[in-house]
Amino acid sequence: MRVLVVDDEKPARDRLRQLLDDEDQFDVVGEAGNGHDAVSLAAELEPDIVLLDIRMPGLDGIETAHHLNALEKVPAVVFTTAYDEYAVDAFEARAIGYVLKPVRRSRLTAALEQAAKLAGTTLREVATDARLDAPRQHVCASMQGELKLIPVEDIACFRADQKYVSVEHANGQDLIDDSLKSLAEEFASRFVRIHRGALVAVQRIERIEKTADGKNRVVLREGSQVDDKELIISRRHVAEVRRRLKES
Amino acid sequence: MTVAPESTSQDAQAYLPDFCAAGTLFIVLLVAELVAIALTLAAHDAGGQFLVELSKTSFFVLWLALLGTAIMCQLRNRLESTGATRAFVISFVVLEVVCLVLAEVSWQLTRIFGESSIIDDTHGNFLLRTFAVSSIVIALAMRYLYVSSEWRRSIVLEAQARISALQALIRPHFLFNSMNTIASLTRSDPAQAEEAVEDLSDLLRVTLSSPRDMSSLKQELETAAIYQRIEKLRLGERLNVRWDVGELPMRARVPNLTIQPLLENAIYHGIELLPDGGEVLVTGKRDGKMLEITMSNPVARGRSRDKDGNKMAMANIQQRFDLAYNGRATVEVEDADDRYSVALRFPEDRGDA
Repeated sequence: MRVLVVDDEKPARDRLRQLLDDEDQFDVVGEAGNGHDAVSLAAELEPDIVLLDIRMPGLDGIETAHHLNALEKVPAVVFTTAYDEYAVDAFEARAIGYVLKPVRRSRLTAALEQAAKLAGTTLREVATDARLDAPRQHVCASMQGELKLIPVEDIACFRADQKYVSVEHANGQDLIDDSLKSLAEEFASRFVRIHRGALVAVQRIERIEKTADGKNRVVLREGSQVDDKELIISRRHVAEVRRRLKES
Repeated sequence: MTVAPESTSQDAQAYLPDFCAAGTLFIVLLVAELVAIALTLAAHDAGGQFLVELSKTSFFVLWLALLGTAIMCQLRNRLESTGATRAFVISFVVLEVVCLVLAEVSWQLTRIFGESSIIDDTHGNFLLRTFAVSSIVIALAMRYLYVSSEWRRSIVLEAQARISALQALIRPHFLFNSMNTIASLTRSDPAQAEEAVEDLSDLLRVTLSSPRDMSSLKQELETAAIYQRIEKLRLGERLNVRWDVGELPMRARVPNLTIQPLLENAIYHGIELLPDGGEVLVTGKRDGKMLEITMSNPVARGRSRDKDGNKMAMANIQQRFDLAYNGRATVEVEDADDRYSVALRFPEDRGDA
């Protein structure tokens, strides 16, 4: 089985490599020092299993796992951690593979052998229970096998677009697999629903104005680079949008 | 004044006893009656009737004690939140006012009922005497309560400091990561692994000493340097520490384990969360008799890790400095967007005395 090792600390990566080099059935195909590199390496190398440290700067382990889920060939994930009571409890509760540091050989091979693939919803629950930095800081778009991470702070709005959700952000527009409903829940503190099919970043809203035919619409701040002509607020959501705008 | 074993730490840290409790009321009344007896004995001469005089004095003093206790019972919760010195000053003033009001009322009552002989004195003189005697008694009582509350607090603080110093150093995260690093080095670089085991042992040995012990600044800086070496193995290029402490007198005495926990915080909450790491800046300054050590580190935007844990560590250092320097030391935290810094200011103590 092909294994990708991800940890921000070199000695920790070395340790995993040392242990796996002694095992015939496992083959370390690559190492990454952070979540970003892990995702692109995983896309390129298509490993069977990713050994993923939880506490990493930038993208943490749980968020990285989330993005790995969007790959064409989704690898199984085994988390590694020195000490995270909450995360360990969350893994136990959901039968997710993990290894404690210092890493013990028998524990490592056992975890790798029973590594399971994780669904996005499970990961979100784990992130919450583990009291890690949920919600995610990036959303993930895949285009012809290539993976693109979009920082949440760059996003102006999410719009339901038939089967997909379109993300409109500082550098253009992308399609993602997440449902609008789950995005609304995950990013409730940052985004507000303006009608059934759209979420807008509260920070990006400059004001609300009336259109010629008496409807309310959102005007975005300059530099948002999103066509805001169609951001009509449905009657049901006007009060909520005004409230959130006032609070910000 | 004993601390019941089941009392919570909050109770143990209270400045004032619970005036609403029956036990306290009993002691207050007992003391009040003893004061009345003492006063009567002092004023008693051969011609007077001791019991009659005692009953007059007791009547007055007991009223005063009851009223005072009732008011303190009401005020206590509010006073507790104002801090020790204020609580005692306010209680003193309040009780003194109660005393004077009661004296005035009794004076007026004896006039109205025409029994002016009960108080054998002029109006002004009576008020003055009451004021003087009550000031002395109340001040003594306050002093007693203050000393005993400080004594209780110091016991509790010391116990807490001992526990939290242990927890602060052996952060499980640090211990297990270090062990993992050593496990890795045993194969790749046995010499470095050996050094790491020695460093880790030295560090643990320091932790096992009493947190009330004082050590020298030199020793403290060495402990922090050992810690830095261990973390450097793990974090590599990401960790840089600039020590600018040449100005500090190395012989100066500081509480055990004060600098290393600050460095640990800077790494745990700052450097570790930055993909490219950063530089921790330690500066030491001497300002007359005061020394100042500042530790500052960059922080990752929008990512915070366990703020409560950090607050606990800061409170722990503050407590230990308070104990060691009798409140003459300060711990200041500056929490900006992209940098976090802690400044310790404390008097220079050469430990000659």
